[in-house]
Amino acid sequence: MFDLILFLVLLLLGFVFGQIAEKRHFKSIIEREKTLRDILVFSERRIPDEERLEGILVCGSVVVSVDFFKRFVANLRNLVGGRVSSYESLLERARREAVLRMKEEARRKGASGIWNLRLETASIYKGAAQSVGAVEVVAYGTAVRERR
Amino acid sequence: MADYENREVPEGINVSPIHPLKDFALLVGGISAVILIAVVALSLLAGQFARHIPFAQERTLAASLGRWLPAAPEKPGERQRRDYLQALADGLAVNMQLPPEMTLTVHYADTDTVNAMATLGGHIVVFQGLIDTLPSENALAMVLAHEIAHVRHRDPVVAIGRGFAVALALASFSGVGDGVLQQWLGGVGMLPILSFSRAQEEAADAAALQAVLQRYGHVGDAAAFFEQVARRQSMPSGPTLLQTHPDTEKRIAAIRAFAAAHAAQTPSAARPLPAFMRAE
Repeated sequence: MFDLILFLVLLLLGFVFGQIAEKRHFKSIIEREKTLRDILVFSERRIPDEERLEGILVCGSVVVSVDFFKRFVANLRNLVGGRVSSYESLLERARREAVLRMKEEARRKGASGIWNLRLETASIYKGAAQSVGAVEVVAYGTAVRERR
Repeated sequence: MADYENREVPEGINVSPIHPLKDFALLVGGISAVILIAVVALSLLAGQFARHIPFAQERTLAASLGRWLPAAPEKPGERQRRDYLQALADGLAVNMQLPPEMTLTVHYADTDTVNAMATLGGHIVVFQGLIDTLPSENALAMVLAHEIAHVRHRDPVVAIGRGFAVALALASFSGVGDGVLQQWLGGVGMLPILSFSRAQEEAADAAALQAVLQRYGHVGDAAAFFEQVARRQSMPSGPTLLQTHPDTEKRIAAIRAFAAAHAAQTPSAARPLPAFMRAE
């Protein structure tokens, strides 16, 4: 009985705080994306006008933790299959945040665009039983600025 | 560079547009429904199989569960009551044509609990609290015959079989350690864990009425116990028996109908309980 109450409390806490954090994060992501819109990002490997530009490696990484609620819903989803929507929003946030951090670095370095963008995802706590998982997303690319 | 642009990406294209709570409710509801259906199916199946366990095996199982029945009485008065109950049960067993391999063991418990129960291995427990509410031997015989009918219909072993199959399945699926099963098996020691369905209760009532009619030639006082229960039902804390014996009113009505149908030509009085059966 105690276990059940603890579980429900964790579930509720996970849901409430997870939702608050997610809403706040998305709001901040949308705002910052607007301010960094002028830095263009492409996955294209060949940089046009290469001879006029210099390239700098920039990267941004973020680690986002799964809340208890999302994890529980995803575990249930594992049984029946289908879109794990509780993880979709998590990874979307992580991806966009990583790109934003990379763009911020590019801005600090005075770059106007980033080429050859790559995204990598890693699961932290992979395989560790009974732990709440976290996911890391790394975005990296070649930022370019006018050759001085 | 002029040919390159980053178009604005619409919001929400990478996330399924479902509210997390709705997703949660659908998953929990759907999976619970499946589990529920599976548990019910498994329980019915296990009950069907348990019915075929030989009675000797059931007795061995009951004996292996350890000390879970009331200890044998030590006081001579209690022993006398136990022997009286045993003799009454054995007599009723003859009336009920109990198969010879089905042996009954009646236990007497000197507590206020208003209850009697049949459990694994033909063990029947009668509490003094029940005897105190009964007006006559006929009423006691009705209760005993009811419990004997449960034994004859194999209701206890079916209930145990169902419970065991469900507990085993849930434990193996949820991955909960074997401690839970042991706890459950230990919990069998708490006799009231056995609950019978309404159909089982009605079948036991019917068989008991036949037995009482055969033994005494009439079924007067047969409804006495249930009338007592019905009177107590209005009280906030009824006896535990009520939880497994629903619809007392209906059962009284059924017994009365049976009594009316088999009314004796000459009204015969109920046989009183021996004096030593009354609480001191």
